[in-house]
Amino acid sequence: MRLTPEQFWTYSEWLFQHNGLRDGMILALALSILGFLVGYLVSVVNHGPVEGFLKVSQVIGQLFSVDLPKFSFRRAGAIAGLAFKESIRKKILVLIGIFIIAMMFAGWYLDQSADYPARLYISFVLTATNYLVIVLGFFVSCFSIPMDIKSRTIYTIVTKPVRPLELFLGRVLGFTAIGTLVLLLMGLLSYVFVVRGLSHTHEVETIDAAGRVGQTNVENKHSHNFTLNDEGRGTTNEAKGHRHIVRKEGDKIVVGPPVDDLTARVPIYAKKLDFTGRDGEKNEGYNVGYMSEYQKYIEGDSLSMAVWEFDGVNSKLFNDVISYDLTISAFRTYKGDIVTPVGGIIYFRSSDEKVETERESFKVKEFQVDRRSIRTKLKGFKDGQPADLDFFKDIAPDGKFQVVIRCQDRGQYLGMAAADLYLRPADLQFWWNFVKGYISIWLQMFIVICFGVMFSTFLSGPVAMIATVAAIVLGFFGFFVDQLQASTTKGGGPIESLIRVPSQLGSQIEMDLGSRTLEEAIRVIDTWILTGVAQLKSAVPNFDQLGTADFVAYGVNLFGGLLGRHLTIAFGYFILTSLVSYFFLKTREMAA
Amino acid sequence: MATALDSAPTGTTSANDPTNIIVETRNLGKIYRDFWGRKKVHALKSLDLEVRRGEIFGLLGPNGSGKSTTIKLMLGLLFPTSGRVFVFGKDATDVSKNERIGYLPEESYLYKFLNADETLDFYGRLFDMSAEERRERSAKLIKMVKLEHARRRQLKEYSKGMTRRIGLAQALINEPEFLVLDEPTTGLDPLGTRDMKDLILRLRDEGKTILLCSHQLADVQDVCDRVAILHQGELKELGRVDSLLKMQDVTQIHASGLSEEAKGRIKKIIEESGGELQRMDNPTTTMEDLFLDIVKESEQRPGRRGGRGEN
Repeated sequence: MRLTPEQFWTYSEWLFQHNGLRDGMILALALSILGFLVGYLVSVVNHGPVEGFLKVSQVIGQLFSVDLPKFSFRRAGAIAGLAFKESIRKKILVLIGIFIIAMMFAGWYLDQSADYPARLYISFVLTATNYLVIVLGFFVSCFSIPMDIKSRTIYTIVTKPVRPLELFLGRVLGFTAIGTLVLLLMGLLSYVFVVRGLSHTHEVETIDAAGRVGQTNVENKHSHNFTLNDEGRGTTNEAKGHRHIVRKEGDKIVVGPPVDDLTARVPIYAKKLDFTGRDGEKNEGYNVGYMSEYQKYIEGDSLSMAVWEFDGVNSKLFNDVISYDLTISAFRTYKGDIVTPVGGIIYFRSSDEKVETERESFKVKEFQVDRRSIRTKLKGFKDGQPADLDFFKDIAPDGKFQVVIRCQDRGQYLGMAAADLYLRPADLQFWWNFVKGYISIWLQMFIVICFGVMFSTFLSGPVAMIATVAAIVLGFFGFFVDQLQASTTKGGGPIESLIRVPSQLGSQIEMDLGSRTLEEAIRVIDTWILTGVAQLKSAVPNFDQLGTADFVAYGVNLFGGLLGRHLTIAFGYFILTSLVSYFFLKTREMAA
Repeated sequence: MATALDSAPTGTTSANDPTNIIVETRNLGKIYRDFWGRKKVHALKSLDLEVRRGEIFGLLGPNGSGKSTTIKLMLGLLFPTSGRVFVFGKDATDVSKNERIGYLPEESYLYKFLNADETLDFYGRLFDMSAEERRERSAKLIKMVKLEHARRRQLKEYSKGMTRRIGLAQALINEPEFLVLDEPTTGLDPLGTRDMKDLILRLRDEGKTILLCSHQLADVQDVCDRVAILHQGELKELGRVDSLLKMQDVTQIHASGLSEEAKGRIKKIIEESGGELQRMDNPTTTMEDLFLDIVKESEQRPGRRGGRGEN
């Protein structure tokens, strides 16, 4: 799992420092102007320029003067109740049956021998739930109003004092309620499935003569080693992402259930990561030639180093020990000894660099999390002189400090990103993180329902479904549109690709159609199309970013700030779709 | 049972008082267009009519004559291409007018997965009625339309007649002042039809204004105070039912106690022969004959309006 810096902005940072509020308002303003223009053009066709303008203004005026002030939650509730009953009586809960069957089969195929079975289990249930609920969302939302119009039941609704916003909100609430029920049931089943699927214990298979060091039998395709202390207590080594508590009960050694596999770490990330080059100059870290630029590298046996700057860390979060996780990678320029890991040095220092801990050597554990810790009372240096230090008094008196990593081995490189080192105070409960993962899914479903109902206010059922699917696809793969626009993905736009694919012209080869003018014309049209698609993309939610399954699967607490952002985005889209639906419901002829 | 032909409508009030006009259409026209905006059908042409407080107003016409379009325009389900419709003095697109309207659609377009109680509760909530009020009204209406035995059954199990009755109940849930009934007797058996007509008259007697659209000409003749006859989107006849049905050029004499010889010289000798002249007035035709005559005439001379009745 790769965390990007924007994923750990706090809510207020996102809203104010990183322009979440400003961008949202710009989008709202742009869409309002666009909506007014489209509405005006439609109205001009029907009523002429002057009356058309008056009609559109009248609709906007009525929203604020009549329809919002006279909004009735009882009426919206009645329509919501109807939508809920309709879904229940149309046997939408069959979906739960499909989900149970999917889980039964998944039990056979999920690989217990994977490095982290918990990730596999959690990813599976969250992804399956996510897709099923999104499918449920667009099926129920896209067809309801068109079906009412087709069967003319809408006549008995709109001839009552029902206002357009009540009609929209009622549908959205009703479908969201049914989706919530389905999600609750799926969540409960998933939780049981994950916990039961991963639950196991071991028997002790071998133990030394002193009864201290032993090995467990193989269960779920793995075994553990363990060591007991004088009191007959201990833990196993970590295997498949978990450990077991081992204790002696009389003559018998009992291995407990797995721990650490279902957890919710609350990482404290550094505010920034700076790099220093081989000669001690500031740089952005070395690029060792990988396509991905996620991690940057420092050079071994030189002045090159990586410095994480932490802020706002206080003693209340930690007792005597500060735990931290390290996930860094190594790049070897020579491979004489491929077995010995690359070595590094790590130390903590105050932000003014006058106080620092003793330097600790470590060997890089590639492709896994290195769980490390330091004590809060430790030895180090004050102004270059050895001293006994108190971490929170001497190094981080104001909550600010730095962590420095250097690479020891000449000619080798260590790679890291800002999120590769984080402090780890006490973990939170897994179940709560699991619930937060489901809240994320719920938000995605809610947005899909808002879009589905919005499209269904002016399109027929199948067309509304296609439009909703298009919005979802654009929302999931919007990053690809960005890449195409930024030309980081080769092969050109849609028309160029249409020529390249059948003619088997590789994306790296220059397109040659024998006419420079034609090639240029295709590129210009592609640019227009891509610009249009990019504009559309910015109006639909980024579902890729809204997905938080990885947080739960990788045992990282889903920050309140991130969830808050997603809630705000969902609310923004709710307002947007409400307004669009209001306009269409207000101006369309229900009996036409 | 009293019929409209026997007596003047009890609730009909002065047509000149604007507060007594429930519906007013002015030069109302509707053109249906296709997706590209091309004219498909000219469904309604320059319709001017008024529905007055307390009357039962009938809208008649063959299929495609513009009756349903007129009703939909009045209810705000369609927007006029030309002219305007006012209901209770408000534009027909004003949602607040619906608080005083009850509407029974042509087919009872109701949610089949609900039962009678749920249906009435749902529509009651759309009128923002409290739970107690809804319970009270539902119970009363279900009793009135005689569906107590089937109140817990889903509407998909209802017969057509039962569906019409629950449809009427939902139209009355808000105790409307103005009731729009589209084909209220369709699907009802003779007994049910009789009940429905009695109910319509009772509602009129309670002060409600009723707009009735029907193909059942006998029903219209039985209950309507005034009728408008539409054909090919044009208003062909508008007036009081009794005056429309009156045959002005024929005199009808009802007499009794006459001898066989006296019948031959009836007009001249009734008094001479000592018989008693009981009644002497114009005979009436049936609504069905009138309707067929108008349609025939309209087809022969399109665009011309008849002049039989008094408005």
